[in-house]
Amino acid sequence: MADAAVHGHEEHDDRSFFTRWFMSTNHKDIGILYLFVSGFVGFIAVAFTVYMRMELMNPGVQYMCMEGARLTAAAAGECTPNGHLWNVLITGHGILMMFFVVIPALFGGFGNYFMPLQIGAPDMAFPRMNNLSFWLYVAGSSLAIASVFAPGGNDQPGSGVGWVLYPPLSTNEGGMSMDLAIFAVHLSGASSILGAINMITTFLNMRAPGMTLFKVPLFAWSIFVTAWLILLALPVLAGAITMLLTDRNFGTTFFDPQGGGDPVLYQHILWFFGHPEVYIIILPGFGIISHVIATFSRKPIFGYLPMVWALIAIGGLGFVVWAHHMYTVGMSLTQQSYFMLATMVIAVPTGVKIFSWIATMWGGSVEFKTPMLWAFGFLFLFTVGGVTGIVLSQAAVDRYYHDTYYVVAHFHYVMSLGAVFCIFAGIYFYLPKMAGRMIPEWAGKLHFWTMFIGANLTFFPQHFLGRQSMPRRYIDYPEAYAYWNEVSSWGAFLAFASFVFFIVILFRTLMQPMNATENNPWNEHADTLEWTLPSPPPEHTFETLPKQSDWDKGPAH
Amino acid sequence: MPFQWQRKLQEDPPKGGSFSYEDGSAPAGLLRLWAHQSLSPKGFVVFVGITAGLLCVPLIPLIGTPVLWGLLPFMLLAITALWWGLKRSWHDRSVSEELRLWSDRIELVRCNPRGPDQVWEANPYWVTVAIHPSKGPVPNYVTLSGNGREVEIGAFLSEDERQDLYADLQDTLRGLR
Repeated sequence: MADAAVHGHEEHDDRSFFTRWFMSTNHKDIGILYLFVSGFVGFIAVAFTVYMRMELMNPGVQYMCMEGARLTAAAAGECTPNGHLWNVLITGHGILMMFFVVIPALFGGFGNYFMPLQIGAPDMAFPRMNNLSFWLYVAGSSLAIASVFAPGGNDQPGSGVGWVLYPPLSTNEGGMSMDLAIFAVHLSGASSILGAINMITTFLNMRAPGMTLFKVPLFAWSIFVTAWLILLALPVLAGAITMLLTDRNFGTTFFDPQGGGDPVLYQHILWFFGHPEVYIIILPGFGIISHVIATFSRKPIFGYLPMVWALIAIGGLGFVVWAHHMYTVGMSLTQQSYFMLATMVIAVPTGVKIFSWIATMWGGSVEFKTPMLWAFGFLFLFTVGGVTGIVLSQAAVDRYYHDTYYVVAHFHYVMSLGAVFCIFAGIYFYLPKMAGRMIPEWAGKLHFWTMFIGANLTFFPQHFLGRQSMPRRYIDYPEAYAYWNEVSSWGAFLAFASFVFFIVILFRTLMQPMNATENNPWNEHADTLEWTLPSPPPEHTFETLPKQSDWDKGPAH
Repeated sequence: MPFQWQRKLQEDPPKGGSFSYEDGSAPAGLLRLWAHQSLSPKGFVVFVGITAGLLCVPLIPLIGTPVLWGLLPFMLLAITALWWGLKRSWHDRSVSEELRLWSDRIELVRCNPRGPDQVWEANPYWVTVAIHPSKGPVPNYVTLSGNGREVEIGAFLSEDERQDLYADLQDTLRGLR
């Protein structure tokens, strides 16, 4: 029998550094680990783009030479363009950003930390599996970075096939770099699927008493829908790249026409995963933005129920629109019409969300603290990206825009800017909770404005380049495209500078003593359960079930 | 409410019997307590069903191609993992306690998800119920003491529920004396 233990119950944390961070099974610690590692990998992926923008700043090839990659400006003699290096960098940037930066930060980081808190669960359902997910992710990231340096095609390091790994390019690429990249994606997939099972189980079975599905805060909902999309989409990718691996190494012909295979089929299953993937990236961001906007408008979120259904609808629709990425592979007119219409339908639930956010602010007492600025930035950028998405969804128009910089501008507006602004909104919003420290407002605002201007300067001109039909994925371009490319490069440098500034400020803040230790540094409209805890929260939270009055505030969240 | 009297204490024993444990009669009162789990069996069926259905969607266009066999194992793996995860979570959180009352015996059995059941028994006449609003490991910690031991009951319930439990137990034990 459990003998009673009635005595003072002191909680003290006597874990060593190694035990706490390397063998962690605590969802809050694992969330922080995810955030730091994804930040580190993100820095590498961003560094790639800065180098690429340096190269694209002027026509001709100045930096990526066969004679050796250069970091300083041109004049150092002969330069034979090294297209392989360029291809490796775009591939590396794509793989890292898609699999190892944004999802781990939003889903792994914020999801791990705050989803259990918001539903009042003591931890994830499977804490040790959570640890496994994290280390699989680290191993995958290491493999992905290793693949950039391992011997690859064209007798050079790295493989330059694009993050989508289309055969026959990927099956014919020489060296082992390609195999490493495939294993990297395998590990990332395994990590995400285990993480998804964990999140789904936690969400379904560990909600506080009285918290029915439609009383769950929106961020927890967004994590649940994301987890579900991962569970449905990632196995498809895992299967596809496994077949790619056997095609490469064991002579199977799943995607090789010479043996009866079909390379276009690979594109279908890749995008069957790939389109939900973009929602996997952005949905947790939607959740964070909902809380930020509600808090800084001092109003409950407008239309809680439609917001939840919009999340589910976006998730569901995400599975039936994949072929809009491949209008040009020779589908029938009927098929194209279907995918075009289905794609446009997604604008409806997305519109519900955008308008609900605006309606939340309507008549609210809007306060432009840093997290709110990021949320505003997100709203603007995501809407721009959404509008160009509607343009691209039209099969006929896509004939002209396919593989041009217009597409690059579109998906960077929704994903790079949309999702990254969500991450920053989340960091500024939740840092007081996670660390008990608040980044100074002036620094946050400076970071925001430089990033906002820099990002727009980078990607908005790419619409013009795309409309002038500049193709994507090339190291060089004719002089006619020079003007906007230079502008775009300056924007990228500004955005990069603001990122570096953020890193410095973040670490400075973390080194300084705690300055925001109250439970809720914002206001009473930050009313989910995590704000009832001390900042930073103790090692163990919600060991006993929370009271309904702690989280059930009125008719909607 | 995750605790429930399966059999409430009655006024009179069944005809010709008694509530005595010695006589081998069934317990006069039976209280079951279990930990809160938010996933219902119906919820399990619905969620796994929808997920399995959606996992089939990408397989449909692949019927008749060898690629189907490359994809199928991963889909099966995903649904198995989901099934296992939800079942495992139910099992992990399935701690429950059962309080059985006779006129001459009180018995508390705790079923742990991992590890053997734990049993405590005493004579109800001497048993006292106590509530510790703040000093216990959880607020409103309810304990039973008797037979030289003090044991916890319903530590996995919520704060308010333990308060109700305390009142309920006091009434019941008073009725038994």
